[in-house]
Amino acid sequence: MKRESVRALTIGTLGVAAAMSLAMLASHVSPILGFNAFFYGAFGGKQQIAETLASTTALLFPALGIAIAFRAGLFNIGAEGQLLIGGLLAGWLGTRIDVPPALAITAIFLAGALGGALWGAIAGWLKAARGANEVISTLMLNFIAASLALYLVTGPLRAPDAAGPELSLLPHAYWLPTLLSQTRATIALPIALLAALALRYVLDRTWFGYRLRAAGEAPEAARRAGISLSKVALWAMAWSGALAGMGGAALVAGELHRFNTQLSPGYGFIAIAVALVGGLEPLAICVAALAFGALESGGLALQAAAAVPKDAIHVIEGLLVFALAARRYLGAKGAAAQ
Amino acid sequence: MTLSLVLSLLALALVRGTPILLASLGGVLSERAGIVNIALEGEMTAGAFAAALISFFTRDPWIGAIGGVAVGAAVGFALGFAATRWRVDQIVAGMGINLICTGGAAFGLIFVFNQAGVTPQVPAINQALWAMVVLGIVLAAALQWVLSRTPIGLRLRACGENPHAARAAGIDPLAVRLYASAIAGALAGLGGVFLALGELNLYSDGMIAGRGFIALAAVIFGRWTPLGAAGVALIFGLLEALQFALQGNIAWLPSDFLQALPYIAALIALLGASGRYRPPAAEGKPYP
Repeated sequence: MKRESVRALTIGTLGVAAAMSLAMLASHVSPILGFNAFFYGAFGGKQQIAETLASTTALLFPALGIAIAFRAGLFNIGAEGQLLIGGLLAGWLGTRIDVPPALAITAIFLAGALGGALWGAIAGWLKAARGANEVISTLMLNFIAASLALYLVTGPLRAPDAAGPELSLLPHAYWLPTLLSQTRATIALPIALLAALALRYVLDRTWFGYRLRAAGEAPEAARRAGISLSKVALWAMAWSGALAGMGGAALVAGELHRFNTQLSPGYGFIAIAVALVGGLEPLAICVAALAFGALESGGLALQAAAAVPKDAIHVIEGLLVFALAARRYLGAKGAAAQ
Repeated sequence: MTLSLVLSLLALALVRGTPILLASLGGVLSERAGIVNIALEGEMTAGAFAAALISFFTRDPWIGAIGGVAVGAAVGFALGFAATRWRVDQIVAGMGINLICTGGAAFGLIFVFNQAGVTPQVPAINQALWAMVVLGIVLAAALQWVLSRTPIGLRLRACGENPHAARAAGIDPLAVRLYASAIAGALAGLGGVFLALGELNLYSDGMIAGRGFIALAAVIFGRWTPLGAAGVALIFGLLEALQFALQGNIAWLPSDFLQALPYIAALIALLGASGRYRPPAAEGKPYP
């Protein structure tokens, strides 16, 4: 690792620790007890580690998807909606099919990917065919996805056993196998890690990845070299949505075991921060997702133990994003000082 | 009967549209100076929360309103400072600010009021609601004039189109961008004040509800002009008002569809109005 990245990372970590200490002091909690609760909540035992891994998984899928779009120069802030539609299709299919579990789980993930891809492709098509700004379209599609999902589960797809805005429970055989028994850590995590590896290969080693990066980094040069920016926009958004949708499927089959419109407490938005902190590099994003996953589960424990509200964690996450965004400046200062 | 219905609909449209309008004016200002403003949502949140907080402790809603605007400006200044002096990626910084502001407000609720979700009722300026609506429209017209007809506006636009040329003409693009971002924060903060103290008399978590992002959409639909953005913001307000008016009146139309109406309309508008948007040339690019 380069000297300046070490420096930036140190400053970032210290800054975050200082901010957390201040927050704890402000809530009249000893930082030692607070950090103790935080780390115990994130890594203290099997259950805690499983919670961290579950949050990691939920963030990793959409973050990888967001990285695809961003690398293509498309500011996809619609991962939340893509995740929701993916989860909806996955949760619907899971209650409709009757096949061996392995096949069913594969089908559920594919349904999630398809749902997310279709929702992402709408924005991609609008960009490709009509030159529509993807910031607006993905944002609007988030709101529309929420309304559509609510309409479908309370209307045409209404389940007899639903207690809220949700579909029926998946058959027990279709629930994702757990990594650690009796926890929420499921095989969705290795699937997400495989997706990250595959994405790294596709971005770095394939013709599609090359065109995608070219379109993102130098669109005019890419266009003159014969790369169709429209096609790249359409496919990048579709793949971006597909990964977010798989995240939805993982939540449906791994955690809630049914589709609920409250499926995601904003994973699609936090994932933007994860992707950016990971520098849009798939493997670095895995590390960032783990850090954010630990913040999420440690934050919950902190809330329970020290009455520091979980939302304070969003401040920490924001500071982390900010610190890493400023690393070029901090790094440059470091280089100048030598 | 019908006339009064139409009038009340339009009145509701103005009230719903004004916070979006105010934030979108901020968006136009900072983006024309060259700073992408993803942080409008956070600036509105900060403004709304600070206004309620200050009004609660001073028992004077006007000081609360001024405080909300000032805090919005401070957040905008932070974005501008990071973007100009630290040369951070503006979109990344904006996302960070949104997280910090929404998290900070939620934390502040617990920390100060020891209750989650919502502040107690605070002194408000509901009587000034219509004055603020008028202020928003006047500000839109004034900003349009400043941007297109005055030397200050020309300089600001130069920093967004070609900061190097602006520099050569003796303008300091960094300073212009910094102050534009701070004023943008003040305008978005005023939008938050409108919601917290104008329409209501409290701050609650999630009360901004994406209005900052809608304002961003209004900036782009309005083609980066103050009057254009204001017009689009008010159309969003009208669609929201229509949603209230139609609710329960048309049996075959699901209410969820009505809720999505403004957003579906925006998507359709995107279809029709393609390729006619040209953002400021140097927008989002760090200088030097």
